[in-house]
Amino acid sequence: MTAYLAHFLVMVAIYSILALSLNLLIGYSGIFSLAHAAIYGIGAYSSALAALKLGLGFWGGMVVAASVGAFASALVAIPSLRVAGDYYVVASFGLQVVVLAIFMNWTDLTNGHAGLPGIPRPSLFGWVIDEPYKYVFLAAGFAVATWAICWRLTNSAFGRVLQAIRDDEIAAQAMGKNVVLVKIVIACISSALGAMAGSLYAHYITYINPSSFSLHESIFIATLVILGGSERLSGPIVGAFLLLAIPELLKFMAIPDTIAAPMRQIIYGALLIVFMLVRPEGILGRARHGR
Amino acid sequence: MRIALSSLLTLTLLAGMTTAAVPAAAQGNPIKIGAILPLTGSGASYGVWMKGGAEMAAEELNAAGGIAGHKLEIIYEDHAADASKAVTAMRRLVEVEKVPFSLTSYSSISLAIQPIAAQHKVVIMNGGGQSDSLAGKDYLYNNIPVVSNEVGVIAEWLAKDKKLVNVVMIVANDEAGRNSASTFREKFGAVGGKVVAEERVALDATDFRAQLAKLKARGGDLLYISSYGRNVAIIADQARELGIAVPMAGTSWVLVPETFKSKGAEGMLVTKLPFDPNSAFAKKFKEKYNTNAGFFAVQYYSATMIFAKAAQEAMKKHSGALTGEGVKDAIESIRSFDTISGKLVFQANHGAVMDIEAGTLKSGKVEVEKTIKAAP
Amino acid sequence: MDLFLQLAATGLVVGSLYVLCAIGWGLIYGTTLHFHVAHGAVFTLAAYYAYAGQKFLHLPLAIAVIGAILAAAISGMLIDLFIYQPLERRGAIRTTLFIASLGLLTLIENVLAIIFTPDPLRMDVGWLADSVQLGPIFLTRLHLVSVGTAIIGFLALMAFLKYSLWGQAIRAVSSSPEMARTVGIDLRRVHLLTYAVGSAISAPAGILLAMDVGAEPYRGTTFVLLASVAVIMGGIGSIPGAALGALFLALLENLGVWKIPSEWQSTISFGIFLIFIVVRPRGFFGRKIQSAEI
Repeated sequence: MTAYLAHFLVMVAIYSILALSLNLLIGYSGIFSLAHAAIYGIGAYSSALAALKLGLGFWGGMVVAASVGAFASALVAIPSLRVAGDYYVVASFGLQVVVLAIFMNWTDLTNGHAGLPGIPRPSLFGWVIDEPYKYVFLAAGFAVATWAICWRLTNSAFGRVLQAIRDDEIAAQAMGKNVVLVKIVIACISSALGAMAGSLYAHYITYINPSSFSLHESIFIATLVILGGSERLSGPIVGAFLLLAIPELLKFMAIPDTIAAPMRQIIYGALLIVFMLVRPEGILGRARHGR
Repeated sequence: MRIALSSLLTLTLLAGMTTAAVPAAAQGNPIKIGAILPLTGSGASYGVWMKGGAEMAAEELNAAGGIAGHKLEIIYEDHAADASKAVTAMRRLVEVEKVPFSLTSYSSISLAIQPIAAQHKVVIMNGGGQSDSLAGKDYLYNNIPVVSNEVGVIAEWLAKDKKLVNVVMIVANDEAGRNSASTFREKFGAVGGKVVAEERVALDATDFRAQLAKLKARGGDLLYISSYGRNVAIIADQARELGIAVPMAGTSWVLVPETFKSKGAEGMLVTKLPFDPNSAFAKKFKEKYNTNAGFFAVQYYSATMIFAKAAQEAMKKHSGALTGEGVKDAIESIRSFDTISGKLVFQANHGAVMDIEAGTLKSGKVEVEKTIKAAP
Repeated sequence: MDLFLQLAATGLVVGSLYVLCAIGWGLIYGTTLHFHVAHGAVFTLAAYYAYAGQKFLHLPLAIAVIGAILAAAISGMLIDLFIYQPLERRGAIRTTLFIASLGLLTLIENVLAIIFTPDPLRMDVGWLADSVQLGPIFLTRLHLVSVGTAIIGFLALMAFLKYSLWGQAIRAVSSSPEMARTVGIDLRRVHLLTYAVGSAISAPAGILLAMDVGAEPYRGTTFVLLASVAVIMGGIGSIPGAALGALFLALLENLGVWKIPSEWQSTISFGIFLIFIVVRPRGFFGRKIQSAEI
């Protein structure tokens, strides 16, 4: 039983990292990205391949994951952040679709639909982290580290520039801040962190395939951020907890599986609509009312 | 407020999880096994057969007193052709429900969950997937022959009997589809045939016209379909729609209800694994589920019965205790099982061998032309 | 050469559906500036309305289709009336609206999945499924109807916008909401009208697709996002641009597989789009854009 609880906590930790990192974009920079699952997947695949084909351990895999994630994000961010936010939404959708297609079809590299089994569990100085409860510590550690990074970022001079851009981009630009550069940097940091979550995931489940990193997953991660609330940094973590608990509860209500999956999505969709009606000034609301 | 809400949810969750904890087959308790099947999605028609067969077996066993006095309970999980769902389901079955055994299906699914099975010493039995990579894996048993048997048969039949030597192929872009396609290439080449072109498609796609148009342009005497489930009928219909007039062929994978109903599939050359639609089993299945039984229904019925026999043996040997390891040892020592389709012998590579029939799809039925006996 | 023509023909057929979807979405986006992803839900609903009309109400196909288009137009209007307008009244920013729209899309798709199952539901289209041969090209009658519908739909929309009073009101709001308000145009009414027209124009695409390969709950998401790509490529505010963008995407997707393995079909569209954004962000015919707030 504790094995299952441990599993739940590991997933909460991983999704917290995803939500915190996406929050840097959506909550702090006002950039809505639909590609976070692709970044998550890039991290997972890079790390898994680094381990399986290059023999790098978990730690090396994580470094690879973060780098590749940041790079992919830069590729998309650089052209699309020059123009309006809606362009970024569609461009991020494009990135999501392209990346998923690569996972599915570049079978020589990714094994396509069949996925990559047998990904090694991490080891720390020879001590293998093989049981779920040990993994909880590892994952939680990374979640806390991510939280700390986000906190440091947003409470620094860089963070203040971000807020200035979020509150009034044109004014910030007029004051000489290189808005586009700042946005690109934050996009890369967000992706590096999101990719690290992917690495954690891959080495935990020990098997990955493209279906875990779809557009629906991106929407789910965005839902975590939105419902968790972005005023406090704890928001995304709470969001992760809440939304991961819902499917587990549904399971215990013995709803047939064919209904449970769409039912979950209906709940998420309804929650999004309700939250927006309740907080129309949006997730940036606190900023608008003067922080 | 949100923190309060999530604390409440977590507590409810913990409460739910603790009450769901069950000890393994103790005195009088039911024996639980898993079944990870394609209950929804493109392979749902297989799921109906597989679940039906297993259910019928469980009911029969329980009516006769269960397995060594314990009732058999099957926990069904839907993988919907998505291996990550299967992995999650398998973990739940193994870590929460503590099953000693689970039925599995599909090559990609079985391969994904096999490492977990091996690690936790839980036996998984596959009655449907046929990829060659399923052979020789720890704790994975297949009561169905791997694909190279059947593909070898159809390749030879097409080249030698039907004299169709230049072939274009449409391939499902997953483990099973690709493995079967490369095996076909190999076997077909060995009997003097040639695969002129190949196009890949997604299993759950509904529009194959671009790929079919490309294949049409390459000519060939035959369109070989290395795919399965719902999309076969759509491929056949769209192929005819595009003016592809050459015959089509496929292994027993293509024999799902949608294919039997499709006009485009009329005349398809197929191989099939033995199944008697007039058997007592088939009649009972039709009565109970209001749909015709298929080969896979028998497969999963047999697999469940095989488990029952092995479990009985294991419990006898270990004074009533039932573990996955015990089941595995029992299967290995019994080896030869009497099933309703005849004798089934597990080979050293954990696979089985069967007779294969070849024929043509006509008006919703397969007209068998030739039977190839199993080479042990 | 035959293959090229066949692929071009398939591209035109698919393009027709993209065109209908894009001009409808583009009309709504250009006029209201709502990133209405729930348009994908309306597209899907239209398909199910037609299916249900035929299967449960036993309507003849043509009536079911017309009814479905009307029902879709009403559905689009209801979305604006009950979700977007209340949000705007409460001072919602555009991201909020987008998120609510996303929530609505997810909700509607999954409700449909529960009611109708996720499997594609085929419709009885009778002689429309018959094959037609034009030289080396094989199509079905339904495909020809799709192309015809797109042409008629496009021309009808252009005529409506240019010559009718309502159309001119929409254009006024589209080019400048402030000016339109000053001149006494009721923005809320125009928005509702825009949603009705936009939904009605895109509904046939969903219905035709269902008639071809069956109604499925989750297709709308892909279509609406493709429509948004087409509109951005064509230039925001330009209906001909959106149509051109849509055709361009479809032809590129289908002709692209001529030489590239067909699994990479969707990658092609988005690759092109990303290049486009770098080279010409305002699209074929669009207004010049600065970095606007979202």
